[in-house]
Amino acid sequence: MATVAQAGPVVAAAPAVTRGKWRDAVFVAPYLFFYIALIVVPLVWGMWLSLHKADFFGDRTFVGIENFMRLFNDGFFLRTVWNTFYFLLLTVPALAVIGLALALALNRPTRTAAVLRGVFFSSSVLSVTIVTLLWRVIFIADGGFIATVLEAFGRPPVAFLSNEYLALPAIAIATIWWCIGLPMMLFLAALQQVPNSLYEAAALDNAGRWTTLRKVTFPSIRRTFALVIIIQIVLQFQLFGQAQLMTLGGPNNASRPVVLFIYEVGFNRWDIGYAAAASQILFSLILMAAMAQYFLSRRREDL
Amino acid sequence: MADIELKNISKSFGRTQVIADVSLHVRSGEFVVFLGPSGCGKSTLLRMIAGLESVDEGEIWIGGRRVDGLPPGERRVAMVFQHYALYPHMTVRENMAFGLRNVGVAGDEIERRIADVARMLEIELLLERKPGQISGGQRQRVAIGRALVKEPLLFLFDEPLSNLDAALRARTRLEIAQLHQRAEATTIFVTHDQVEAMTLAHRIVIMNKQRIEQIGTPMEIYTRPATAFVAGFVGTPTMNFVPVEIDETASECAEAKLPDGSRVTTRIAKSSLPERAKLTFGIRAESVRVAGQQAGDTKGRALFVERLGDRTLVYVELAEGSTIVAEDAGMSRVAIGDVVGLEFDGGAAHLFDEERGYHAMPAVDD
Amino acid sequence: MSVAARSHGLSGNVLLPALMIALGILMLGPILWALGLSFKSNAELMVDTSSVFHSPYTLQNYADIMAGSSVIRWIMNSVIVSLGMMFGVLILSSLAGYGFARLEFPGRNIIFVLVLFGLAVPEQAVIIARYQIFSALDLHNTYAGLILPGLSAPFGVFLMTQYFRAIPKEIDEAAALDNASRFRIFWRVLLPMTLPAQATIGIFTFLHAWNDYWWPLISATNVQMYTLTVGVAATQINFAESTGLGFLMAQAIFASLPILVVYLFFQKYIIRAVSGAAA
Repeated sequence: MATVAQAGPVVAAAPAVTRGKWRDAVFVAPYLFFYIALIVVPLVWGMWLSLHKADFFGDRTFVGIENFMRLFNDGFFLRTVWNTFYFLLLTVPALAVIGLALALALNRPTRTAAVLRGVFFSSSVLSVTIVTLLWRVIFIADGGFIATVLEAFGRPPVAFLSNEYLALPAIAIATIWWCIGLPMMLFLAALQQVPNSLYEAAALDNAGRWTTLRKVTFPSIRRTFALVIIIQIVLQFQLFGQAQLMTLGGPNNASRPVVLFIYEVGFNRWDIGYAAAASQILFSLILMAAMAQYFLSRRREDL
Repeated sequence: MADIELKNISKSFGRTQVIADVSLHVRSGEFVVFLGPSGCGKSTLLRMIAGLESVDEGEIWIGGRRVDGLPPGERRVAMVFQHYALYPHMTVRENMAFGLRNVGVAGDEIERRIADVARMLEIELLLERKPGQISGGQRQRVAIGRALVKEPLLFLFDEPLSNLDAALRARTRLEIAQLHQRAEATTIFVTHDQVEAMTLAHRIVIMNKQRIEQIGTPMEIYTRPATAFVAGFVGTPTMNFVPVEIDETASECAEAKLPDGSRVTTRIAKSSLPERAKLTFGIRAESVRVAGQQAGDTKGRALFVERLGDRTLVYVELAEGSTIVAEDAGMSRVAIGDVVGLEFDGGAAHLFDEERGYHAMPAVDD
Repeated sequence: MSVAARSHGLSGNVLLPALMIALGILMLGPILWALGLSFKSNAELMVDTSSVFHSPYTLQNYADIMAGSSVIRWIMNSVIVSLGMMFGVLILSSLAGYGFARLEFPGRNIIFVLVLFGLAVPEQAVIIARYQIFSALDLHNTYAGLILPGLSAPFGVFLMTQYFRAIPKEIDEAAALDNASRFRIFWRVLLPMTLPAQATIGIFTFLHAWNDYWWPLISATNVQMYTLTVGVAATQINFAESTGLGFLMAQAIFASLPILVVYLFFQKYIIRAVSGAAA
């Protein structure tokens, strides 16, 4: 249909839109380079590695799923998986509930509330190494804060970090102190999005404070609650620094999480095939837990 | 200033055709309005001229140069967007200078043009402010100013008045008309508002369903609509349409028999009408006068009465149920339920079939 | 108090504020305890830690830090790595965000979805392989080695793409009619409109880089290359026997200062970033 003009310059018929289509990819190329090199390749390489017996110095033999079989029969490893799930149970519900409670209590426009919100969030900006240092001097039997207070009352000190049953809970307490900021902030944001008109309608319907909380507030923030749970599951599944520094995974493997296992196997023992296999299992566990939580919360919403 | 030529333009998005074989010639300095309902393709056509949409088939020529392959910046057109699209983080001055800097216009020339245009549009005091700090009407002027400083071959307006309140709209309409007079710039203006089209345009291009229905001056469109769609789209209140039969009579002019049996003698030549066609009779409210019960070509009962001050619109139900809107004086005494007579000015009547309209002869020059 | 304010939170005249303030002080407890310990001499603390509650107090521990320890060096390393990663991520994700949001190239949508999948990949799944790659490239114990891994995070790209998508296309079109090139549209017109997103990404990346533990732990094994976070861990290892409780706590406090100062100044933006990103 396009006839060549008799007068005037002849211009290329290619519409301006498709010109330089490949050239436009130059904007995403730099990022993609790093993404492929540092996420895609290592991910695939890690999966490949998990099928080998290998160390860092080059020896590598293909062993198929032997690493995984070993892991499934490794009592030491299985204990770490159990520890991790137990840790999730200790921290995730507490973080959600306490976070919500703090948000409810501090959701006011006063200056005091603003300062307090800042205080409760401040622990989140510290690194794990500082947090563990701070809490060690609280838990430690010889001269820790709790020990000092107990001594003042004439009681003997409790060795939290070297007690099989108290080690993980102690780490959990430190973790809750450390991570409470994010759930609180997410709940605060959600609370502020609940339209005022809902509360006014409830007041006109003579609803008491507790009823309003249950029937108006909670349903409105249900999505955020599910979000907080998922985020914390994924986060706390990756427990590492606190266990490594506070208890070294002990005593007797009582507080060793999966990530610490991977670290020790991979970077202390250099058995990287085995470690890679463990990290694949961890990855799958995280994905499954997150999806399970997602579908569970979806079902509850449809009800 | 430049001539614009569109030759057989077509465009589809996937399998949906949005422009079907459109051709148009715009003379240099002309103010052309693309008028039509939402979805008719008028904005798409405008954007194709600007270079913001590609052309599937056909050619676009601006100022003797074929441009449908060129990027927007090289077509020497300027556009005023519906929501102004001012750069929010730049001052008004920087907004206006941006385009000129990109093509390497000298600094003092830029300053001179901005000063001239700012004075013309009375936005001198706003030059150092940001778009977020000025009102909607002021933003609109800045958008126009940004177009003016580029001294383009063609101005494009994409429904620029839709976001303004009624009072501002009327005033800005006047200012755009004045601007056009001074600048004598070739302009294409898109709108769905027929009042804007009638008052601003040299010629109107009425579009419907991806095609051009009619191109003509405002008065041509009003008095000799090419199709029933055009007739119904332009003019308030909407033209009356009733299905009619053409009686066999001796005269040259067609005599229409309305559904209730009454007859109106038109000035439309019977010879121009197609054989055995189903025809629709069209007449505007201002050509139907309210008369006494016994007078007039027919009568009916008043269903609604709208008093507009300078005139009164009476919605009259005929014997068989169809409704005709008639016009009466401003001080009319007609009340709902009254039986009134209707007098038709046959000379102003039109006939429409599915394809086109038939109008009184001879054509009235206006 | 308004209906809404009453029902939004748990109100209660004096009781609740008092309780909350008490909890707030409790929350600061660990830091206060560490602060107290840092002002006592090591010798005193070794005998009896409850000596914290009474004088004499001393600044000796802090003097010792300034004098000899590597903390200063570690802080500098952290600053370089954190700022480097922050700027690197901002540049890469801004460019990529613009590309994904505004430019059409073959496979764009598929590639974007693949990048999103990256959000689900935890560090543990890639760290061993990364370590090998960096060993092969001899990048351990370098600033590049510490900065580069962070540049692959999809979070910034995701956020910038969303942000660019939200800008009306009319702005791009106006700029195209103003004869601006693709890059000029990006640089002069659109990018300045994304400052809030940049602040969010900048803050998150900075905090993440500053507090990162596992990767710097295994990659920067040379004491001179430690980041602050790793350095604090290193000094903890031989906890009880080593340099003394007071000195250790002084190090902890000292190590907290930079990030707490940043927090104080940018608290508003940090909080806004956290709640905004989650919405």
